[in-house]
Amino acid sequence: MINPLRRLFHVIGEQFMSLAFDVGGICLMTWRIFVALSPPRLDGPETWKNLYNVGVKSFPIVVVTAIFTGAIMVLQAGLYVKQYGADGLLGWGAGFSVLREVGPIMIGLMFSGRVGANNTAELGTMKVTEQIDALRALAINPLHYLVLPRFLAMILMLFLLVVIGDLTALVGGAVTSQYLLGVDTELFYWSLVTYIHLEDFTSGLAKAAAFGFAIGVISCHFGMTVSGGAVGVGRAVNNSVVASAIAIFVLDYFITFVIQ
Amino acid sequence: MSVETERADGQRGFVGNFLYGVGEPVLFVWETLTGIFRTGAQASFYILRGRINWREVMSQCHEIGNRSIIFITFTLGFLGMILVFQSGFQAQKITGDLQLLGALFLQILLREFGPTITALMIATRVGTGIAAEIGSMVVTEQVDAMRMNAAPPIQYLVVPRFIASTVMMVVLVIFAVAVCYVAGLFTGIYAFNLNPLTFVNLTFISWADVLICLTKALVYGMAIPIVASYTGLATHGGSAGVGWATTQSVVNCSLTVVILDFILSGLSYVLLTFVQ
Amino acid sequence: MRLASKRKSGDPMIVVDHVTKFYHGETVLDDVCLELGEGTNLGLIGPGGAGKSLLLKTIAGLVKPDRGSVYVDGHNVTRMKETELAELRFDIGMLFQNYALFDFMDVHGNVGFPLRQVGGYTEEQIAARVSELLSLVSLPNIGHQYPNELSGGMKKRVAFCRAVATRPPILFYDDPTMGLDPVTSSKIFIHLRRTQQAGGTTAVTVSHDIGGIADICDKFAMLDHGRLIFHGTPEEIERSDVRLVKQFWQGVSDD
Repeated sequence: MINPLRRLFHVIGEQFMSLAFDVGGICLMTWRIFVALSPPRLDGPETWKNLYNVGVKSFPIVVVTAIFTGAIMVLQAGLYVKQYGADGLLGWGAGFSVLREVGPIMIGLMFSGRVGANNTAELGTMKVTEQIDALRALAINPLHYLVLPRFLAMILMLFLLVVIGDLTALVGGAVTSQYLLGVDTELFYWSLVTYIHLEDFTSGLAKAAAFGFAIGVISCHFGMTVSGGAVGVGRAVNNSVVASAIAIFVLDYFITFVIQ
Repeated sequence: MSVETERADGQRGFVGNFLYGVGEPVLFVWETLTGIFRTGAQASFYILRGRINWREVMSQCHEIGNRSIIFITFTLGFLGMILVFQSGFQAQKITGDLQLLGALFLQILLREFGPTITALMIATRVGTGIAAEIGSMVVTEQVDAMRMNAAPPIQYLVVPRFIASTVMMVVLVIFAVAVCYVAGLFTGIYAFNLNPLTFVNLTFISWADVLICLTKALVYGMAIPIVASYTGLATHGGSAGVGWATTQSVVNCSLTVVILDFILSGLSYVLLTFVQ
Repeated sequence: MRLASKRKSGDPMIVVDHVTKFYHGETVLDDVCLELGEGTNLGLIGPGGAGKSLLLKTIAGLVKPDRGSVYVDGHNVTRMKETELAELRFDIGMLFQNYALFDFMDVHGNVGFPLRQVGGYTEEQIAARVSELLSLVSLPNIGHQYPNELSGGMKKRVAFCRAVATRPPILFYDDPTMGLDPVTSSKIFIHLRRTQQAGGTTAVTVSHDIGGIADICDKFAMLDHGRLIFHGTPEEIERSDVRLVKQFWQGVSDD
């Protein structure tokens, strides 16, 4: 009778401790990054390298995702528009959802998968092969050398990628609207320009910056705390993308709430 | 992967280098696509032959289903709140009328966000998990050992995950839709003072919406394990390759979901236009 | 042999015919030609990175060469599909360099695996054979343990049991004693010799332990940077005046 109860407590306790470790670790990482930013001392070559890796390498994926996302939202909005014969609202309906919500979220999730996971894997492999310790032995602070450039690169790049992604998504939507729904691109464009305001666009960008921040901190935390060899790296990548996904949705909610 | 762009001494000439630079990404995408289809075809072949290890299937069901529940609850719960909040606020601004909010919310949830976002979440969690597991087996030569013992890795590793994922995805999507709807309902009540009975309006939902939802769930459930397994089996480069394969898997699975969503949304558009 | 032989009697069991493999612009196997008669044991030696494990995997059909062919019992392994190779592999046992034990199965499951794949054995027969093999390598009580609970030497012995479980006529050993202490190494070599003598098997053994395999191999082949620089009997190796071969061989003869 005692044993199952003990096991239950054990399992709950274990989960709680592991969750506390990760939540605490993420907060600690955030704090450390802020400390490292004042004053900001960046390693030039490392920063450029990361800007390249993060931005240029995720560009194709983001563009492809964005095009399809725009197309999908047009198809979904199209159902309602056709039902009520309100072709003039297609641009608004698709554009609104893409710019405010679906664009940043989808691009954020794709970014988390492409860049966040890669980052965790890289840092994790370095940790497991003791390269982080080697840096410390050479009196180089891993936070300044490794974490900071990646963190900044991710915020900046996700921001830019969402800008490009939003526009690409609208293009994808326009093409879909013309060829699959028979709604003229000119009407689509007019609808967008008339009903969409700048704040729809900028609220999406604010989310992008927040997502970049979160993905940066989370992926670096999980990467730097890997243990257990190659299997540990795989597990850390898993945890990193899961935590990033949760963070994206939670942040999205709070930003939506605050902006209104 | 032996493309004959090499001279007799194993070096590529100028033309070879040029073709390689332009062609490599194209070749990579092509090989990935053919690899994925081949994996899927072989997995189907083994299932039709009936050689299934049911205990492994159950274990994978637990791994994919039970262990994703909290994750799905969190993400789709917040999604429900976001969607209702966002659309409610806009509706208030434009028409001031929130009567149809619940009905339309449920519709878009069934048609699009329920299955697709759930699939993306599962692609994240399970896609990495499968690729990491299988990838580790590749680098420790266990997959080679399976082949040497005449046990096709596809039958042993891919088939159980395929069956488990297909079944579990449908279950999880149903669960996710429920969670998301409830979260949306509470948002409607507390943020917009809606009457619950106004929100819970099922008159707009037709069998076509439910069919679309379940079809998407089924298709995503079949695609994700195939893509993740293929990526895992294609691991190379020692232990570091496992981390790389894990990353590649998330990207591949997510892209697959997005592309399939586009195709299925197109088909559902055609279907619903005829139904209405 | 379960798969019908395509060989004419008297022909060699294993033929490596001008096998070449490139990897990222490097030549990792360079026009390798070998022949192995039935019942002989070939020792594959050479410096690290010479391509020995790769050659073994090519012979086993796990890796396809860019040029050339490999024939096992008359079947062209380089052209066969996986399903056809599976039939052939019922008659091949392989011991991997890094054990390659299935970490999701216990020792019992691992050693019995080939027996279950081949089929035609009852559970009692499988259990009996597994016990017999585990006793043979002095590990009678570890049947229920998992690979991650075992030491390197134990894992190597379990992997050996799995390789010989179905009494295959062809055996491939990839570095059977890598990283093992001298006592365990000599135990492994004793088992290899016994298996050889008991069944007249054809085997290819990759090893760095020249002293160990000098006793059990009838022929040697030495690779360097993917090229075959020696192929012959132990006596011929002693008499060889190729510099690298002499250094390699005498490095051991000194003790």
